[in-house]
Amino acid sequence: MPESKEARELVLRIAEIIIGELKLEEITPETFDPDMDLVDELGVDSMDLATVALVLQDEYGVFIDEDDYPTLKTVRLIAEYLSAKMAAGKNA
Amino acid sequence: MVNAASGWRQGDHAAAEPVRRQDAPAEGAVPRRWKFSELLAEPAVGERWEKVRRYFFLRESTYDMTNRCNIRCDGCYYYEGAKQFACENDDPEAWRGLMRQEKSRGITYVVLAGAEPSLVPELLAVCFAEMPLGCIATNGVRRIADAVGYRLHISVWGNDATSFRVRKARGMLGRQIENYRGDPRAVFVYTFTRENIGEAAAVVGTLADADCRVTFNVFSAPVGYSGPLRHDAASLLRTREVMGEMRERYPRHVLFSPYNVVAHTHGRGLHDLFGCSYPRRNASTAIGLGRSFRQFRADLTWDRDAACCVPDTDCADCRHYAAGSAVVTARLYRHVTDPLSFKAWLDYVDTYLAVWVMGYEPGEALCPELIDPPEGRGSGT
Repeated sequence: MPESKEARELVLRIAEIIIGELKLEEITPETFDPDMDLVDELGVDSMDLATVALVLQDEYGVFIDEDDYPTLKTVRLIAEYLSAKMAAGKNA
Repeated sequence: MVNAASGWRQGDHAAAEPVRRQDAPAEGAVPRRWKFSELLAEPAVGERWEKVRRYFFLRESTYDMTNRCNIRCDGCYYYEGAKQFACENDDPEAWRGLMRQEKSRGITYVVLAGAEPSLVPELLAVCFAEMPLGCIATNGVRRIADAVGYRLHISVWGNDATSFRVRKARGMLGRQIENYRGDPRAVFVYTFTRENIGEAAAVVGTLADADCRVTFNVFSAPVGYSGPLRHDAASLLRTREVMGEMRERYPRHVLFSPYNVVAHTHGRGLHDLFGCSYPRRNASTAIGLGRSFRQFRADLTWDRDAACCVPDTDCADCRHYAAGSAVVTARLYRHVTDPLSFKAWLDYVDTYLAVWVMGYEPGEALCPELIDPPEGRGSGT
């Protein structure tokens, strides 16, 4: 199924936040592979991920449980996680 | 009853309870949920956050260098459990290979410990050549060459009479100071046991007079140890008070924030308070210490089931300074609930970096109050 415009924008924004917070060079949101493993391939560690999670939490107004950090392994998985949280929030 | 000097209540569980905070919400009120960006908006806080986050790249592992020591201390962690029987590997090329392997799997910081690293100077030089960031835990009796530019943690267990009794070594403090006076690598680590609390003021005073910097450790019993060094509620309370007094008396020389005092003298140990993230207590290999940390024995093997910064410590009694440096620091998320908690966490991380990283200078405490650690336990990541 093709990716919706909203989903694509969410992926790009998450990539932008990661690039900004981790001060990554020579990569843009557009060139950031959303399926790249952040831990294995990018070398993200727990403190980096916690920082990104806190910024995402601020931006999207959702609660990201500390226990869920290990599941947030790619930009796409983060986007799906946030989408589900936001949808659950709207339906609550 | 609140102890006016230390700000702590006394009672049956005195060591567990800081006083209620001035900024605590009224009973029944819903606590405000702070945004992370709001916490960072205070200039001093934002500045400190930027200062400490530059070191988030540090990924540690620890290494026993030899099974030899030139003294023998009661309650020594090294001579407990299986690791003491490992055959030492004294081949510098084997160590060089290990350091390169460690680097390739993302390790950026090495802690060289047991039993006494100063006895293998050639191995220290090899490690430093391959991995420039790290720390050596030493008893300070034998001087480590200046060329090894790691942070040096020099263990102090009381005054000379106590050192002689517990460590069977004469004139320890004088020898340690003689070796490391004015050495920018050196941080003396005063371990508070149940027996030496009253000696701390004189010892820390001596170190400060010699312009030596000091941090604090709290004796954490090895598994099965029930001897006289093990803390109880009363000794933790007294330790806390003395730590506070030392902070006030020697602010330039004591590296220990108010939140360090809380975390390390609490009635509940570090694992119970924060959820230890070392592999020994953390099955997850997804991210963080559970994924990357290894504790190598002197034969260059490691065992996940035993891997933590001070193996063979009774986890329920663990208040070890090295454990806290990782365990409290990893709990950023828990401390972003309100400005004071976040400031306290920043103070802790600032202290951790000053104690462990060469050249890092700590700032003023952002949270001078003794505040409760956050509720709950961690998942171990």
